[in-house]
Amino acid sequence: MATLKPPTNTHRSSSSSHSSGPPKAPVKADVTATIADTVVFQGTYPVTIGAGTVVHPRARFYAYEGPIYVGDSCVISEKAVIGAAPSPSSRSASPSRTADPNTSPESGTGTNSKKEAVTRISYFVTVGPLSTIEPGAHVHSSASIEALAIIRRGADVGSHSKVCSGVEVAANGPVGEWFVVWGSGPGQRRKRARGAKAMSPAVIGASQITQAPLPAPAPEGRVIEDARLMVLQKEREVLARMLIPAAGGRKK
Amino acid sequence: MSRPFPYTYISCPCADTPVPDPARKRRSRESPQKSPSKPPPERVNPSGEDKKEPTKYEQLEEDEEEEQTFDPRSPRSNFSLYPPEQLLYCEECHQIKCPRCITEEIVSWFCPSCLFETPSSMVRSDGNRCGRNCFNCPVCTAPLAVSTIENATGNGAQHGPWVLSCGYCLWTTLDIGIKFDKPTNIRSQLQKMTDSTAQPAIDRSRQASRTFGDLKSPLSTFASIDEQSAAREHEEEQSPSQEQEAPPMGTDARFAALKSFYRTQIAETSSSPNDPLSTDFGFSSPGALNRLMSLYASSSRLSGLYGGSKKPKSKPPVMREAITASEGLQLAPENGDEDLIKRLTSPSCGWDGMASTEQRAAQSPDARFTDDLLPLPALLRTKRAKRCKSCKHILVKPETKPQSTRFRIRLIALSYIPLPTLRPLALSTSSTLPTIAPTPDLNSLPPLRPVHVLLTLKNHMFDPVRITLATPPVTPGNVATKVTVLSPQFEIGANSDVWDEALQGASAPLKGDATAIGMRGVPEAGKVWDKGRNWTTVVLEVVPGTLPGSSAEGGDGNGEGDEGVLAVASQKADEDVLEIPVFVRMDWDADAQLDQGNVGKGSKPDDKVTRELAYWMVLGVGRIQPSL
Repeated sequence: MATLKPPTNTHRSSSSSHSSGPPKAPVKADVTATIADTVVFQGTYPVTIGAGTVVHPRARFYAYEGPIYVGDSCVISEKAVIGAAPSPSSRSASPSRTADPNTSPESGTGTNSKKEAVTRISYFVTVGPLSTIEPGAHVHSSASIEALAIIRRGADVGSHSKVCSGVEVAANGPVGEWFVVWGSGPGQRRKRARGAKAMSPAVIGASQITQAPLPAPAPEGRVIEDARLMVLQKEREVLARMLIPAAGGRKK
Repeated sequence: MSRPFPYTYISCPCADTPVPDPARKRRSRESPQKSPSKPPPERVNPSGEDKKEPTKYEQLEEDEEEEQTFDPRSPRSNFSLYPPEQLLYCEECHQIKCPRCITEEIVSWFCPSCLFETPSSMVRSDGNRCGRNCFNCPVCTAPLAVSTIENATGNGAQHGPWVLSCGYCLWTTLDIGIKFDKPTNIRSQLQKMTDSTAQPAIDRSRQASRTFGDLKSPLSTFASIDEQSAAREHEEEQSPSQEQEAPPMGTDARFAALKSFYRTQIAETSSSPNDPLSTDFGFSSPGALNRLMSLYASSSRLSGLYGGSKKPKSKPPVMREAITASEGLQLAPENGDEDLIKRLTSPSCGWDGMASTEQRAAQSPDARFTDDLLPLPALLRTKRAKRCKSCKHILVKPETKPQSTRFRIRLIALSYIPLPTLRPLALSTSSTLPTIAPTPDLNSLPPLRPVHVLLTLKNHMFDPVRITLATPPVTPGNVATKVTVLSPQFEIGANSDVWDEALQGASAPLKGDATAIGMRGVPEAGKVWDKGRNWTTVVLEVVPGTLPGSSAEGGDGNGEGDEGVLAVASQKADEDVLEIPVFVRMDWDADAQLDQGNVGKGSKPDDKVTRELAYWMVLGVGRIQPSL
């Protein structure tokens, strides 16, 4: 995570908070982060946003049960919900329930003496529109959470994984590295090709029969992921440029 | 019925005409349209039988033909009721045509992904799949995109290895270790990689001819078989040495080898090529049957008739099974199962590495793991023309081009029959004040309380139409609902130009008159409720009956007796649904010119001929409350 600078945009975020409304979460955002006007930050714990991250309008951060860390170069899309909005029950007693062994409380800024659920989103993560990441979840680097997906409390999404749209990752459910969770409901899992894979048996069999030379081995599956991240990088640059006019001259 | 209330269905009369009998079909077609003819006596369920005697029906409805009332609850009705917009109309037969009384023929095959048309000669050899670049993900069935690896890494030039990649589950052909050299003709590139039917001894042309032979019908002639077996033997002569170290064949190759092996076996073991019995049964019939039959034929006295001069074989040659790999035999590997289990339990595979049944459905039968799955070329779609089953008149003919959504011919029924729509009348009959009473809740109609519903018929023809409506006074089934059409006979105006009404001052007072009657009046017997340019609304008075088990059950007639077993069977489900069968008879003066039958008479162009059409429709009004 990049060096966190003191919040330079407090005036911006304060404009969206009501005088007597819900508690305003302290936001520590990097200067290079692009945060739209209508993003909601609520809660008592700090929200940290890393360098180069783009947060779309109407995304919501609820830091009631623990701090939220968003790493560098992420994209948080519209209406995504990170954390959980306070319900009467959760405000009183539930934070202890949501504590996750994976995410040990690192931050001592919390005022609550109980265990807090740290929501952590590492770098290069894409969070799709209308998706939900509940408190205590940990999304590792370069993962992508598609639209309408739900990451339940304490779930752990490994790096370079993809949670396809509409899929729900169960509470405390681990998703390994380089996995794709697709389908509907709990979804089906698929391991992505990372290194060079063995050629399909059909091809090998055919080449044995025809006694033709095997085709040249295919490159490693990683190149696809590299390409995707490169495209993501470009997309984020464009997005930041698109969102800055919306933020007006108040940015910087 | 799944539609929300209120709905209207139209009954296609084909449910009561046995389709597979062409003779009767023809007879009924040739019978003059308007002359009343008796229905064939062997009709099992004569309900809805109305086509042939529409004129008589009105009079006969009350008496002994009562049982012919269309019963929307009859199990057979499910098959004849269609929403009006799904029906077609045959101009030759002058009949409504439902999806069951048409035949379809394929106009063109095309790929839904690239919208290229596939010529019909190519469809079969392509396996009903797109022959170009359209593939579906073998894991999640999403369409695959052809993308270059080099381009994405920033080189920009459109070269370098290409892969198929799925945008949804991120599957790429790199997952199975395949890349392509060109971005075009992926199908043939993949085919070349996985084609296991080619054998070293056979050149390309031979293989092509063989696949052509395979494509022939199993009932092909002897000549082709002999040719094939000869080729086969020739082949075996050529490559006896290669058989020893022959590598395991692919599935396709093995199937082809087994097929040709058994063909030659059948040809050899059948007693003689001229055996009448074997020709009767063809090659695809089991050899055992052939042998059995030839045994009978040779032992029976009849053998003299067929092949008496032939010396009867006491022992026909026995068919053997494939014993070598070149004949298609494949021995299971020594410890194949153990290897499979080992691979299953290895952490790299696990449950996620197994291919699901859905994924395996279109794959080679050997594919068990997700790593074995190959990308699937997109399945082709068809454009279909529809013909009337009885007169072969084309009812629907789409444009051949896949890109076009237009139709050359489309005879939909709504161009010929009025579109019925139903809505409840927001008017309580008890109060004399025509205030804006709340519309009755159609999902819970109180029993024994009259409800008025408005039935609007909208004419789409260019001729004015006279309509006669008829309903049974009491609906069939267990729940006896009384129905009265307040004005059973009325006219609907022609579907003229929309502007005619506005431009002609004459029709304006008529319209005002109608609205004056309609909006401020109360439902009155013998008067139409409202009338427009090409539509007319009439009022139906409905008194919902009581449900059998309800507290408000009165003594009014339960029509259980004459319904019998069928009614009992359908008693439980949806008994409270109030559906009214309505018989519609329409007649109009059509241009005689359009009718082919009258062309020969040399009639004047302005000569009109009266046509009529009659059918049952079902109005779904609502559900009856269980109690008052």
